Amino acid sequence: MSGKASRARIVYHLARADFLERVRRYSFLVTLGFAVYLGYLGVTGQIFLNLGKYQAVYNAAYVGGFMSYVTTVFLTLAGFYIVKNTVERDQKTRVGQILAACSMKKLDYCAGKFVSNFAVLCVMVAVLAIAGVGMYFLHGDNSGFHPVPLLSTFVIFALPAMAFTAAIALLFETIPGLRSGFGNVAYFFIWNGILVLGAVAIFTKSAHPFLDLTGGFSLWSSMAAALTAKFPGAEVNSFALSIAGAPNATIGVFRWNGFTWNAVLILSRVFWLSIAFGFTFLSAAFFDRFEGTTARGSKDASEAAAAPRAVETTETTTIRPREHLSLAMLTRAKSRFRFGAVLVAEVRLMLKGQRWWWYIIAAGLTVASGAVVSREGRGILLAFAWIWPMLLWSSMGMRESRDQTSQILFSAPHPLARQLSAIWLAGFAVALLSGSGFGVRLLVGGDIRGLQAWFIGALFIPTFALALGVWSGGNKLFEILYVLLWYLGPMHSIAQLDFMSAAPLTAKTRYPMFYLALTGVLALAAVAGRKRQLQT
Amino acid sequence: MQLEIQGVSKQYSRSTWGLRDFTLGVQPGVLGLLGPNGAGKSTLMRIIATVTRPTEGQVKWNGEDILRAPDSLRAVLGYLPQDFGVYPHLNAVEFLEYLAALKGLDSVSARRRIDDLLTLVNLSDVRKRPLGGYSGGMKQRIGIAQALLNDPRVLIADEPTAGLDPEERVRFRNLLSELAGDRVVILSTHIVSDVEAVATDIAIVASGRLIAHTAPESLLRSIQGKTWEWIIPSAELPATRQRFVVTSIARRADGVQVRVIADSQPTQDAVAAVPTLEDAYLACLHAHRAGAAA
Repeated sequence: MSGKASRARIVYHLARADFLERVRRYSFLVTLGFAVYLGYLGVTGQIFLNLGKYQAVYNAAYVGGFMSYVTTVFLTLAGFYIVKNTVERDQKTRVGQILAACSMKKLDYCAGKFVSNFAVLCVMVAVLAIAGVGMYFLHGDNSGFHPVPLLSTFVIFALPAMAFTAAIALLFETIPGLRSGFGNVAYFFIWNGILVLGAVAIFTKSAHPFLDLTGGFSLWSSMAAALTAKFPGAEVNSFALSIAGAPNATIGVFRWNGFTWNAVLILSRVFWLSIAFGFTFLSAAFFDRFEGTTARGSKDASEAAAAPRAVETTETTTIRPREHLSLAMLTRAKSRFRFGAVLVAEVRLMLKGQRWWWYIIAAGLTVASGAVVSREGRGILLAFAWIWPMLLWSSMGMRESRDQTSQILFSAPHPLARQLSAIWLAGFAVALLSGSGFGVRLLVGGDIRGLQAWFIGALFIPTFALALGVWSGGNKLFEILYVLLWYLGPMHSIAQLDFMSAAPLTAKTRYPMFYLALTGVLALAAVAGRKRQLQT
Repeated sequence: MQLEIQGVSKQYSRSTWGLRDFTLGVQPGVLGLLGPNGAGKSTLMRIIATVTRPTEGQVKWNGEDILRAPDSLRAVLGYLPQDFGVYPHLNAVEFLEYLAALKGLDSVSARRRIDDLLTLVNLSDVRKRPLGGYSGGMKQRIGIAQALLNDPRVLIADEPTAGLDPEERVRFRNLLSELAGDRVVILSTHIVSDVEAVATDIAIVASGRLIAHTAPESLLRSIQGKTWEWIIPSAELPATRQRFVVTSIARRADGVQVRVIADSQPTQDAVAAVPTLEDAYLACLHAHRAGAAA
């Protein structure tokens, strides 16, 4: 077998094994469930394309264009978090150590992982394409089912976007600073930036298809051309996917028969594919062949990674005379349980590994959220003060499974009453302390209702983190949902989602009480989840 | 002080049982739990350590059902799991202090005991190094130290010597012998020499069932006069394996020295050998498998 064929075989088997391992896990069913749900929202009209005063006829081309746009917008975000665990899985299952000892090239490994990521996303795209066909038969016009215009947009737009998502997820996993929670947060803002870029492009009418990952600009410009052909002078003055609400009243209906594929359009998609391949090559450059398997991502981790060499020296010096110490000579263990000691230990565990500058920024945000004159400004600063410790909260309830200490910890007395409550209190203490500037200012100003709403926010955050950590066994779910909630609620002043009452008016609504009730439910869920873990 | 396991079963799926109707009484001393891989030893250890609930049956500690009141046992329990992790960013002292707090130990005496334990397991020199940088053997020693933190009345050690170098293995065995006096120590392993060195009682587990529970001397007596050794040409080895229970082979210049279990002298050349616990264990397993096949 030639070298190239042999490498292709390695890539194929890497991708195949990884793909099979993924699809045979229960979590893949949840993933598919998400795609089915997304398709359902599209089919039932709960997600629709808001074109302002005009509406396109539901022909096969429009259904294909709309559903592929839904796919690219949502799966470039959710898909990233879904597939960003392929290298981590090899590390956790310790298969990585075996792979690292093989003659496989780093590029082969990354190519295999990219293909597997891409394949998983393609399965989800296929589900949404099937939903698109279903949507056509439910709501489509009578012009006949034309599979090519319906499905071609999936192939031309969705697949390159999925390749990009698959590759950037892999890249994030191979770059030390991005593989952890920080990377999860960073990607949310990158994705948001990509969407904003698309929106700016549409409204300034100046974008280039090469900057259009989701295909939104191309779809808009093609539909705008169809609209003006029927209604000269008319404009598609809105182009957005709406999740809630009803479409605007329309003053005209137009027919869009799909894209006229041209070289620029095709090349723009090839461009995104090239970016994906480039990211895969870049991943291979960063991939460390599981060298830092035991601990990653912090100063301590780098010390730890450097330690084994020193350790070997220590081990070789173990054969030396040393003082004889028997069990009878050991200090007697005295029982005297103090909850404070457990709490201090949990706080220390939570804060371990943070650098000095982390505390400086946290303190700065805390002080600023109390010191700024404007109430709106203080609200925004509270939002930042309560996003900064997010990675501390995201390890609550999952640390035991991540670090495989559950057997030791759960065999200690009263694991629920002692350890779980101490974890929660540690998270609550972090929330109180980091938000204290804002809280003190409310207290000084006599804003009792605001103080109450702020306190509910401080209760909600660690409880939310603990419940998701216990039930998901990982940090990712909390990080994704928390950032999403934070971005939409406190940052965009959507009162329903403003769990910390950062906006001045939120405290006066009934939503803080809703979050108090939700906190109670989440607390029960966390206890139930931990009980379940104790009783496996 | 007694631990009683009564009719315990653990079902993992419709057709997979980790344990079937397992009954065993454990008195103070070292119980060596022997069995092949997948026999159910770790399942039993996890059930006794209160981290897994059995599907059926009861486990009682001094007459109290630990499924209903697990904390009565947890308060006096030291558990070293087969496969466990550590917090990679904590150092040895911080990790043990954390566990001492959870186990409800007085902080002043715990600190001194941690110092002593780290000396005992020979990790004093690296006490301030993050655990993420420890080798497998060193992590195992941290595991041993944490299991001894609360001066346990019941110590459960699942494959404790895995990853230890020979010197540390001997040290650990000596430690177990010291512990044995007035405590219940359960040592699960498939390394017979570890059990041979320290066990006061032996339980053999296979296919999720208890197939023998006896003193080592009694197990050895069961094959007294049934262990034989002789030298055969290499070519005859497959046939010999088929006819007898071969417990060991050793290559020699004049052929292969085989050691077998047989009720009577297998050949003219065979000479009686002094039985070891490994011979007795393998004979017991063979008898169980033969019985199951029949």
